[in-house]
Amino acid sequence: MSTYPTDTTAELPELPQPQARTTVPEQQGSEQQGSEQQGTGQQGSEQQGAGQQGAEKTGAGKKGAGKKGGGRDRYFDLLRAIALFRVVFYHLMGWAWLPVVFPSMGVMFALAGNLMARSLATRPALGVVRGRLRRLLPPLWLLGAVGVTGMLVAGWGPEEEGHPGWWWLHLAYWILPLSDPPYGDALPGVHGLISDGWAGDLGVPLWYLRAYLWFVLLSPFLLRALRRLPWPTILAPVALSAALEFGALSVPGWRLEAQLSDFGAFGACWLLGMAHQEGVLRRLPRYVVPSLAPAVAGIGLWYALTHDLREGHDLDDMPFAQSLWSFAAVLLLLHLSPSWSEWPAGLRRWDRLITLLNSRAVTIYLWHNVCIGVVEALWDRLWGISWLETNASWVLESPWPQLPAIWLLTAACVICFGWVEDLAARRRPRLWPDGRVGAGTHRS
Amino acid sequence: MSLRLRHLLPLVVLVAMMAMLMLRGYVHSEILADYRIRPEAAADKVPQKVLDGGPVVDTRNGQQTSLSVPDHRIVLTFDDGPDPKWTPEVLDVLKKHHVHAVFFITGTMASRYPDLVRRMVDEGHEIGLHTFNHPDLSYQSKKRIDWELTQNQLALAGAAGIRTSLFRPPYSSSTDALDNASWPVTQFVGTRGYLTVFTTADSEDWRRPGAREIIRNSTPQGGKGAIVLMHDSGGDRHQTVQALDTYLPELQGKGYTFENLTEALKAPSAHTPVTGLDLWKGKAWVFLVEASDDITAVLVVGLAVIGVLVFARFGLMLLLSAIHTRRTRRKGFVWGPDAPVTEPASVLVPAYNEAKCIESTVRSLMKSEHPIEIVVIDDGSSDGTARIVEDLHLPGVRVVRQLNAGKPAALNRGIANARHDLIVMMDGDTVFEPSTVRELVQPFADPKVGAVAGNAKVGNKDTLIGAWQHIEYVMGFNLDRRMYDVLRCMPTIPGAVGAFRRSALDRVGGMSDDTLAEDTDITMAIHRDGWHVVYAEKARAWTEAPESVQQLWSQRYRWCYGTMQAIWKHRRALVESGPSGRFGRVGLPLVSLFMVVAPLLAPLIDLFLVYGLLFGPTGKTIAAWFGVLAVQAGCAAYAFVLDRERLTPLISLPLQQLLYRQLMYIVLLQSWITALTGGRLRWQKLRRKGQVAAPPGVAAATADGGAA
Repeated sequence: MSTYPTDTTAELPELPQPQARTTVPEQQGSEQQGSEQQGTGQQGSEQQGAGQQGAEKTGAGKKGAGKKGGGRDRYFDLLRAIALFRVVFYHLMGWAWLPVVFPSMGVMFALAGNLMARSLATRPALGVVRGRLRRLLPPLWLLGAVGVTGMLVAGWGPEEEGHPGWWWLHLAYWILPLSDPPYGDALPGVHGLISDGWAGDLGVPLWYLRAYLWFVLLSPFLLRALRRLPWPTILAPVALSAALEFGALSVPGWRLEAQLSDFGAFGACWLLGMAHQEGVLRRLPRYVVPSLAPAVAGIGLWYALTHDLREGHDLDDMPFAQSLWSFAAVLLLLHLSPSWSEWPAGLRRWDRLITLLNSRAVTIYLWHNVCIGVVEALWDRLWGISWLETNASWVLESPWPQLPAIWLLTAACVICFGWVEDLAARRRPRLWPDGRVGAGTHRS
Repeated sequence: MSLRLRHLLPLVVLVAMMAMLMLRGYVHSEILADYRIRPEAAADKVPQKVLDGGPVVDTRNGQQTSLSVPDHRIVLTFDDGPDPKWTPEVLDVLKKHHVHAVFFITGTMASRYPDLVRRMVDEGHEIGLHTFNHPDLSYQSKKRIDWELTQNQLALAGAAGIRTSLFRPPYSSSTDALDNASWPVTQFVGTRGYLTVFTTADSEDWRRPGAREIIRNSTPQGGKGAIVLMHDSGGDRHQTVQALDTYLPELQGKGYTFENLTEALKAPSAHTPVTGLDLWKGKAWVFLVEASDDITAVLVVGLAVIGVLVFARFGLMLLLSAIHTRRTRRKGFVWGPDAPVTEPASVLVPAYNEAKCIESTVRSLMKSEHPIEIVVIDDGSSDGTARIVEDLHLPGVRVVRQLNAGKPAALNRGIANARHDLIVMMDGDTVFEPSTVRELVQPFADPKVGAVAGNAKVGNKDTLIGAWQHIEYVMGFNLDRRMYDVLRCMPTIPGAVGAFRRSALDRVGGMSDDTLAEDTDITMAIHRDGWHVVYAEKARAWTEAPESVQQLWSQRYRWCYGTMQAIWKHRRALVESGPSGRFGRVGLPLVSLFMVVAPLLAPLIDLFLVYGLLFGPTGKTIAAWFGVLAVQAGCAAYAFVLDRERLTPLISLPLQQLLYRQLMYIVLLQSWITALTGGRLRWQKLRRKGQVAAPPGVAAATADGGAA
């Protein structure tokens, strides 16, 4: 059981300021949303849906109208939490069907695209992009500071790739990940503490940040294209993915190819998120999405099944199937989008956990894979206990008992490294931001 | 409680049929079949004495002994049977020459042809196991091997009431062909108490080399004993039978005797009788397999019937609706001598708790291009429906109140209060176009026309369930109703938009509450009275379709059950003379066939779809399904074109076939069960939202949204 490091997600959640959360009761948020609907629902002969659409359309014109209400959509929070949990789970288990059941990355990109479009609608593009970079990069730098130092200690160096000059240049991707940051491929681990290949565990998931960075940089242009030609823009990445898959387009160099491939696989999801914010989806008759999405998903699944879907070769290795499946799943999830301004009764008890996952998504994403590597190495030491080996070998063989340990270690990472997310967002650093009143200290 | 049962029963019926199909797929080796054969492997782990030893290997209790057949004795063995065609012929030849043999039967075949197994035992032959469905056991787990043997014994017990201790592994031959892969199987089977029987002479009859060659292969050298391998199943075995008929007397002449294995070895019989629970389990198994085969045969016939019906119906609809369209859209077409009809009409609006919709309904009528009076009959609403209408203070609108007495009573009260002789009926949740009433009464230019059906359209087709009903309505009104119009057996004037001649209503005694579908009931009554009932395509009415599955369910349940009640009520038309007889012998059977019987068989399509996807030729099944879908899409598209509707809602057709159709036939099954068990059904009112405020393209009658 090892990690399949191709799948990943992270998201830069736009948490409201903690002060606002603690002082503004939830009701007020919904009230404001309600009044907004009334004010803008001039075409509102239909019911709620139309009213919301009106609110959204004019929200673009009214500066900051959307943000003011603190309007966190709890449905999106839930999706993000599920996606993140699924990623960690999958990196431990490696089951090929997990990305099919819930295509986390597509969902994460869609949510990110949605927030991006929301920000771009109310603030100048340059400021939005700068803000996003500011919040994305410091956590990466922290990981790099720890990780690269560790790699250097383990013997990684300029000679590794044969071209010291290139090595130094590529190291810059740890500062600004325009392409995948380099890492030592075959570095030895520390016996019994962290297994060999830990640098890969650390470095491989970074593709998500690279893809995210590019989506952010391109978003102002994507939004313009989306407003002019909504559906051709949304479908363009799928077409790109098809072109790459069927050889109509070939690209020199793996760095460019990786970027284009990821753009093809998830660009449509990012754009769907933006389109949802722009109200493009609501302009369709409501039967269209549930009628077409299953067909698209069916084609994607069929393609995956006929191209050797198995453990170790899943949707993440099939960008074209991934693009179709994720597109369809995201389309359906956004179509359902119930817009919860507060939790439904059944989910309320998960509020703190989901809030925590959301506010530390980047940290969890960046560090969980290393945590899995460490726990697996520690678990291997248990083979030394002969009683366990003879009487309860399933504990050693099964990945299930490792799951709590991994989350425990990840929680430790949240405490150790999570604060940098607050710094990046220019907030007061918190240890355990689960949304509770006075959550400044850990479980005070 | 009984309602719950009625929901459950249709599902149980479907699941039971599916289970039967599964069982059939199972014994026909369409499930769990494994056709891999292991290539030869090294034999260094097989004891030399076994490799060189006799064909019967005994590995019970950890021993490794081999037994040989004594000289001048031959044990004939037949593998893979029983087969319905060749096994009886083999048995006949053996009987003719008074010879006993051993049959190594598979569980699948034995389950399907238990009579032949019984005959083998009765005629003194011995039975051996040859696994349940013939996999190469060297690939299988111990669990699977155990399962193969147990299932095989179960089938044998069910067929002949015995168990056996002989076993032959599939794909085996002589002992010197044992290798490191197959030897562990032999050892394992020994621990389960079986003797493994290999061969010394392979007739190779499965190659069909000609009878002479089979005989040569099966004849041992120099008077030695032999175990000869033949097959009574798995293809054309006439050469085997032919060879046996020569071979047996020939070798008997040379002094050979043919015995079954334990006779030849002078050992006690391998058979032991099975009693008690195991016997009954075996019998139940064989019974179930037989039942599944029978049921499958019936289902296949049913599928063929439904296939023919579906395509015949589509063909008929396309043809007749084309005829109808040509006729009514011809230049200068008039309905009859009295055209155009300008006589005023009374519009009856029965309303029960329609507060949300009633204003839109009445206001849409005020724009009518035809002179009308409007009578709103409030059927004891508790939400102030009557008040709303009165407060509008519209000229020519009357409100009649009654205590809640049901829709038929409300309509009768309306008829009594109506001043004109042309009576239009609509629902309180329906919106008319300005020309609707005019178009609806035009057919009365023909004095033979007693009632007219308008064209009801779904106003709220934005959602998936709305789009599905939209497709259904457009097809129902543009194909079905045109067909029924041409065939003169329109089963229903929709309650949402229909017109009647007062004289016709009077003659049949007005509306009745005998059935839950008073509209179908009155239409049939009017047919039987000799009137024509026609379809006016341009009389469009916009109605609000149910938006939740539950509401849709209760609406359709009512329609479906009501239609069955109406058919039953008018069953005497079948034997009557005159126009009633004509309707009874043409209309009623057609309506029953298309609306009540054919949908009953519709689940078969899905049943065989699932079956085909799982075991059948998957590709062909999918292709067939898409083929049917394409035909359906073609018909739907034609209907949409006839109605000048946009084709986009048709994208929901594939999903409709996978979700909506099933709902409809489960409702129908449920109605059947209600009908057969004689349940009563309460009136279930649709919860309206008042979404359909105006026909599309027309500004809402309630411009300031007062209703919402």
